[in-house]
Amino acid sequence: MNIENLNNPGANAAMNNAASAGSVNTAPADDLLDFDDDPLSATGVSRKSLVIFFLIDTSGSMKGKKMGELNTVMEELIPEIRKVGEADTEVKVAVLTFSTDVKWMYSTPIPIEEFEWARLRASGVTSLGAALKELNARMSRNGFLNSPSLSFAPVIFLMTDGYPSDDYKAGLKELQANSWYKFGLKAALGIGSEANDNVLTEFTGSADTVVHAYSGGQLAQMIKIIAVTSSQIGSKSMTLSDDTSHELGEEDVFAAKQKLLGQQIQELVGNAETDDVPFDTGW
Amino acid sequence: MTELEIGQEVELEFGGKAQVLSVIGAGGQGTVYLVRFNGQKWALKWYDIDKMKKPKEFLKNLRSNIADGPPDNKFLWPKYLTKEAEDGTFGYIMDLKPDGFDSFVDILNTYKLEVDPLTGRAVKKDVKFSSLTAMITAVINIVNSFRLLHRAGKSYQDLNDGGFFINVNTGAVLVCDCDNIAPDGSNFGIGGKPGYMAPEVVRGIAQPNVQTDKYSLAVVLFKLLFRGDPMEGEKVVRDVCLTESSELKHYGQNAIFVYDPNDASNRPVRGIHDNVIKFWRIYPDYIKDAFIRSFTTGISDPTKRIIENEWQKLFIRLRSEIIMCGCGRTNFASMFVQPNEKTFKCPKCGMEFATLGFSNRDYRMPLYLGCKFYECEMSLESEEFMKVAGELVENKLKPGVLGIKNCSDRIWRAKMPDGNFYDIAPGKGFPVWQGLEIDFGQIKAQI
Repeated sequence: MNIENLNNPGANAAMNNAASAGSVNTAPADDLLDFDDDPLSATGVSRKSLVIFFLIDTSGSMKGKKMGELNTVMEELIPEIRKVGEADTEVKVAVLTFSTDVKWMYSTPIPIEEFEWARLRASGVTSLGAALKELNARMSRNGFLNSPSLSFAPVIFLMTDGYPSDDYKAGLKELQANSWYKFGLKAALGIGSEANDNVLTEFTGSADTVVHAYSGGQLAQMIKIIAVTSSQIGSKSMTLSDDTSHELGEEDVFAAKQKLLGQQIQELVGNAETDDVPFDTGW
Repeated sequence: MTELEIGQEVELEFGGKAQVLSVIGAGGQGTVYLVRFNGQKWALKWYDIDKMKKPKEFLKNLRSNIADGPPDNKFLWPKYLTKEAEDGTFGYIMDLKPDGFDSFVDILNTYKLEVDPLTGRAVKKDVKFSSLTAMITAVINIVNSFRLLHRAGKSYQDLNDGGFFINVNTGAVLVCDCDNIAPDGSNFGIGGKPGYMAPEVVRGIAQPNVQTDKYSLAVVLFKLLFRGDPMEGEKVVRDVCLTESSELKHYGQNAIFVYDPNDASNRPVRGIHDNVIKFWRIYPDYIKDAFIRSFTTGISDPTKRIIENEWQKLFIRLRSEIIMCGCGRTNFASMFVQPNEKTFKCPKCGMEFATLGFSNRDYRMPLYLGCKFYECEMSLESEEFMKVAGELVENKLKPGVLGIKNCSDRIWRAKMPDGNFYDIAPGKGFPVWQGLEIDFGQIKAQI
């Protein structure tokens, strides 16, 4: 209220009297105005970033129903993952495809809100080793994990339907030395009966994060289970321990997320139905 | 039966059937559906009991919460239980979120995604408080709802940014996700959300209770006002990757407040925590001190955490210190120049604001056209922080003359320029002048 607006001579006198009552000047006007001081203008809270890497086998054997199914489910999956991040996490997606060549769908991870699935085609052989090397090269602070803010360890989801046609062990060895991989959440989906369990378990580091899909319905279901569960766990982290009698130490929480992912995947896979026609039958 | 089908009917415990219409959302413990029951639409929460640690105890607790009823109408409280399905699955129905409320998550993000029904594309829409008064009112409402809940002997347990809906135009608040609320001291398996959990819960040495709620409440308030994480600064960002063990360290064992006056190791980082840096300059010291206490001594000693009533008083004061200047600048009094102890001056346009001193407070309230006095500020017993008791208005018959209108239902007495006190009946007013004194009954005020 500007007291001069009061049509009242007394009020003006009040101001003058008050002004002489000793100065309690807090800050000079310039200091109060040298920045955007609007208490309502804020940017979004700084979010932790979570990159979900999809490693997808696009070799010739994926042609037809498998690839059609995969393309469809990936398109449908994006809106479901969108809900995962909420206010704390910015979820980004990077898709690496491997057949004879290794190729990224986009040259950089894309925020889930803007991500659009580019339909994949299948042809060529299964260069898994080259894919793991490429992943290792990009999974660094100077590569794809360059968020200036904090990051969660990435989610790495491998989907393949056959045995690698190159030296995957060499690629895996390089990758295993990468800390992002070490702390990341790893899961793998074997598509059809040709996919090799041992290779997949070597990749994830534990058998309970490896699942199989033998039919179109299953493929859709498994991709959703793994992608949604792993991104939820990846972006939310640890839960409470029931036992409050001893304080948690680093060894109690080490790889806690990967263990939780294994448990949840096994539970969900156990509940999933398995009554439709296998990929390799009915031809 | 973890998931319900659209069209499926679910029987309620005390009779009647709810028909599933669509999915509203999914959470950690189950799915929320839109249902029709008794000709009206409701929300049905249906649990995935495989994901619950103690479903039987959880159900028992839910039943007693329903019997007790909500502490007040700001809670979207469970209303009726469903019958238990053969496999032990169950759910409950509650009121739907009314229109006009946005989730706290969207407020923190400053936008929400609305899916265009034609293209299926998600479009960003701004979510922002329409006034400073609405934002501070929301804070008071949040604090007050937890005060009422704790007074009822219960704790919320899982206090986080998903727990509120807020009307950004009025500051009205709805507390949702009330199903983990339990008598203080009990816990049915919920741990909370990282970043909001009290350090002793993160460290695994305590389960959620009223004291840990107080910590989480301070985090919620900090996030709403400062738009950042109170524990995420330089020390945390240096870790680059937030692994399980770094989370245990930075939010549990070695949690350091970003503005800890005695430890500068975790200050906000420019470029990442710009909001916190900016807002820390804007808020007055008594608000900052309360957060400093919550996040320094309050980390290791839960009894040192700010109690809800104290927050409520601090934010009622903060609301009364908002100045809306004629030039369009709206800010807290501490962001105005104070040429003398009774006057505030806009640093932008130079307009001056007189203040009122009250017999029961040691701070002065700035006066501006449209500023409001609330019932709780006019009487010692009243806790009504939403009821307007007075307002500074312009005299309708004498343009340019400003005065205070009595909007309460009691008679005040005010000293007029002729030196005498007059009764001011409800609906009447009196001019603001240099020698003004007001007698509200128990509380007196003067220019």
